Formats: sequence, structure tokens, C-alpha cells
Amino acid sequence: MTLLRLAWRNVLRHRRRALLLSLVVGYVTLAVLFMLGFLDGYGESLVESYARYVEAPVVVAPKAWWQDPDPQSGFKAPFRVDHPGVLAQTPRLALPVLLRSPYKAHGAEALGVDPGGERALSRVPSKVAEGRFLAGPGEVVLGYRLAERLDVRLGERLVVETGRKALGLRVVGILRAGVSNVDFAGVYLHLEDARSLTGVWATHLALEAPRGQEEALAQELNRRLPPGLEARGIWSLMGPIRADYEASRLFYLPLLGLFLFLAAIAVASTAYVSVRERLREFAVAESLGLAPWRLAGQVALEAALASGLGLAAGLLGGYALLWYTATHDVFGPLMRLSAELLPEAGLAEHLYTAVRPGYALVAALVVGLSALLALLFPGRLLLRMEVSAYLKEV
Amino acid sequence: MARLLAALLFLAWAWGQSPLEKLKAALDHLRGPAHRAVYVLKVERPGFSKTYRLQVFTDGERAHVRVLEPKSEAGQAYLSLGQDLYLFDPRLGRTLRLPPTGRSERFLGSDLTYQDLMGRDLEALFEVAEEGGVLRLFPKPGAPTPYGKVEVYLREGLVERVVYYDQRGEAVRELLLRAYQRLDGAHLPREMELKDLLRPGYRTLVQVLEAQVGPVPERCFQPLYLERGC
Repeated sequence: MTLLRLAWRNVLRHRRRALLLSLVVGYVTLAVLFMLGFLDGYGESLVESYARYVEAPVVVAPKAWWQDPDPQSGFKAPFRVDHPGVLAQTPRLALPVLLRSPYKAHGAEALGVDPGGERALSRVPSKVAEGRFLAGPGEVVLGYRLAERLDVRLGERLVVETGRKALGLRVVGILRAGVSNVDFAGVYLHLEDARSLTGVWATHLALEAPRGQEEALAQELNRRLPPGLEARGIWSLMGPIRADYEASRLFYLPLLGLFLFLAAIAVASTAYVSVRERLREFAVAESLGLAPWRLAGQVALEAALASGLGLAAGLLGGYALLWYTATHDVFGPLMRLSAELLPEAGLAEHLYTAVRPGYALVAALVVGLSALLALLFPGRLLLRMEVSAYLKEV
Repeated sequence: MARLLAALLFLAWAWGQSPLEKLKAALDHLRGPAHRAVYVLKVERPGFSKTYRLQVFTDGERAHVRVLEPKSEAGQAYLSLGQDLYLFDPRLGRTLRLPPTGRSERFLGSDLTYQDLMGRDLEALFEVAEEGGVLRLFPKPGAPTPYGKVEVYLREGLVERVVYYDQRGEAVRELLLRAYQRLDGAHLPREMELKDLLRPGYRTLVQVLEAQVGPVPERCFQPLYLERGC
């Protein structure tokens, strides 16, 4: 307790130095919190987009279809997954089509869906900005950017062609989901129409799974499914954007580690200078009976207290920033620009940061690291100090 | 006297035909007899134009088209066999089978589609009515056509003008057929003009030169002969 009081008094004695140290640590803490919250928020937004709009929490399909997503590699006959972990399921039929309006022709991947089953699993049906979602065959629903590109309006006929057949479908709904794949490329038609265009029952089964258990359920299903079928969880369904996300984590996490280390070095080096300046004071203290290891402990404590102050300020500022960016659409313009540049990446138009208490623990590493470094370098200086050399001069 | 009699007979024949029969007869004429010819295709765009010379072999149902000029694209060849469409690209050195959706694509970057050249969409997808001597075509329910209405203007049983309307009632494309040549009992328009009515300056002209009526060797309709020519 005495050591703590002594350390605290020493921190206060050099207020300007302590303030500068706190600023460094506070800035690093804030950066760590923000980057962790941003990365997690980005990951959550991708999972949300793919699980609820682009794909499904878990997808089961023939292995041949995973290798070559040609509709002919899909399910030839009806299939159902019986597993207590599956909360809902619906067949889907993905098919490459040529869309023709009087003004333009455009290649796209259409999705044949069962409107009832889709409502239980996807948020797309609830994102119709004009008109309504599919009610029966002969209808099509489009993303608003695709509808603009084709220049088709609600109630107009759109030609949907495959190599096998062509259908004239009436546009009954325009979607505005805020997810690039849906808005820029979404083409939803009734499963019956998709079947008549391809001649297959479905290409894959979309399954609802408890949140966070998607990968486990996919693995469990892979042990039980008949040969020739494969289940994939949401992370496996993300495609190239997953690599982008993982690469971001791989890049930023070591960078944050480096930030923490540099901040701790700044604290330790300041402590070193401080100890060098106060060697006589420490020599007197040692001659009065304070053990060298206790002196080293005091220096480590001083470093921890100085960085702790910065940590507290950084946590306050960092969580305030995270709370703000988690509740306000700060990154909307950036995400809309990204979605414009990468329309098929599955990016959402909104990104909200994550706020987790665990970030504080990561940021607190700077305190532990500062204390450790202070113990290692300035502390060692005290342990090797020859008291007589400093006391002679007194 | 004989001419007047012939004209009266034609009128009487035409009078007795339903609008659909008139359309079918006009489309049959449009296809022409089996022939080989050189077509000149001129694609006009605002500020520039490009001219192709094409060697065409057709039996009325199938067509083999080979690009002769410009030099940069010479050797490209297309074969249309019903729903099947093949393309030979000399730069790739390969013959590719295009998906049937390719029939709706623009031919050599022009305003024409394969459907315009060889298709029977007008009779298959539309219900035909006649109003004031003009055939008005309205899509059948669920028909795979993006158009809201098509007007076909006939002259002496031959298609003279086709106007495509969008579903908002605006004319979007116009096809003009001129200078019909009587060949072996059939008729072949020697000039075709296709205008994109929504984009000024977008026009495609087709002129038929050196047409020779007569049977076309069967090998011309074999994909194998796309590369070596027939």
C-alpha cells in the first residue's frame, strides 16, 4: 500500500510527463477499441447480409453443384433435411438468365424461391420498396438498381430467358434492401417458374440455424447427410469477401499489437529516464532499508499507474466513440461507395461498429506491458545500482 | 387487262385471309428462298460508322454467315440452326456454341438481333389484329417479349415497316424493308434499315448484293464447316 502511495505521489510529481504518457496510452487505447469494434462490426454486417439476404445461415446442395453451380447439377427430386437443429428450410433454385426489357438485355443470376418458405428464412421479402413480394408464378421481383438499369417499372413485363426456355414475367415488386447483391443484382421469381426454366427441382436447400451455430450445424449435417450432398455454414458461403475480411483482421490485429507495444515502450522509456534522474533518491531509499526489488516494483507501479490513467481516458473516449458509431450511420456514405464499386460483394449499405466489453481487456494489455517493460529495464537499473556510488556525493 | 385481273385476284385472296395468316405469309416472304448472297451491314453510331461485308448462305430456315470485311474481323462465322447458334472466332481458332439466349443479343454490335434476322417471334408470341390495313400485334399473356405492341405495315403482302413499342406506348425500334426482289417465286428485301428510336444516330443498314437463288450445299449447315468455309 505504501509502495502504491509512493508510486502515485511520483506520478503526480511529474504531472506534465504523466499527462503526456496518458495521452499516448489514451490514444492507443482509443485506436485499439475503435479498430476492434470496426472489424467486428464489419464481420457482423457481412454475416447478417449473407445469412439474411444473399445466402442463408446454412446451405445444403449436391457436391456437384458446389463445384459447378449449373442448375443441372442441382436436386433432381424433392429433398428435406430432418435435424432438430434446423429451425426452417426452403428450396431455392439459382439459375443464370438473360433479362430483356425493350431497352436493354442484361445477364444475371436469378433465384427461384417459394414465397412462403422464403419469408421464414430471409429478410428480402420484407424489403419491398414498391409493390409486393412474389405471390405466385408469372411474377418477378427485382432489386431497384437492376430495375433502373433495365428501365423496367412495376407492372411491366420482363423477359427471363435461359438456354431452355423464356418466360414473360410481370414485375410485381422493387426491392430496396440496403445490401448490394440484392439491390444491384437481385432477381427473384417463383420456384415453379424457375423449375419450368431449368427442369430441376432446386439447386440448394436454405436452412435456418440458431445464431452463432451455423458452422457447427453444417459440420453436424455433413456427418449425417447422404453421400453426394454437402452442407456449408455461413462463413463458407461468403466467397471472396470473406478473404477480404480475414485479410483485414490479419493485417490490423498485428498492427494493433504493434501500437500497444510502442505505447508500452514509450511508457517504459520515460520511466527509464525518470529513474536515471532519481537514482540518488532511490539510493537513499535503499539505504533506509527499502529492498531493491521493492524499488523496481515501485517503478513498475509508476509505469502502470501512468498508463492506467491513459487507459481509463482511452476507454472512456473509445467506448463513447464506439457507442456513437454503433447507433449512428457514420459509415453509410463509405459503405454505399464500396457497394457501388463492388456490387456483388454482398456489402451492406450500413455498417455499425460492435461494442464489446472484451475490447477493454485487450486495451488493458498496454498497462501490463508497460509495467513489465518498466520492471525489465528501469527496474533492472535499480537492481544493479551501487548505493555507495550515489551516496558518496551527498 | 391481265394485270388488273391479277391485282383483283391478289386483293380477293388477301381479303379472305385472317390477320394471322397475312402475318405468316408476309414472314414467309421475308425469309426468302434458299440463296447465297453478299450482304453489306453498316452500323451507324453518333460520330462513327462501321461497315461489314458478309457472305450469307441460307435455305430459309438455317443460315451460315461469314464476315469478309473488315480485315480485322474477317473469318468470323456464324451458324444458326433453329435454336442452336454457333460462332467461329479465328482469333480463338475455335467454334463455340452460343446459348439460345444469344439469339436475343445484338449481331456484330449492330441494332439487329439474330431473332430479327431469322426469328418467328412475331407470329409465335403475339395476337394479331388488323386496323386500317396495319397489323397490330399484342403480346399473348405471359409471352416472353419485352414489347407492349408491334405494328406491321404491309404492302402487297410484303412487310414494309415494323414498329416496336415499349409497354408505355412509346415506339422504340423501327425496321424498314425496301427494294424487294422477286427471286424464284419468293421475295427478298434488298435493303433493311433498323433504327433505335430512343437513341438518335443509332441505325443499322443491310443491303443485299449478288444474291444467287438455288440450293445451298448441306455442308454449309455443319458446324464443322464454320472454320473452313463451305
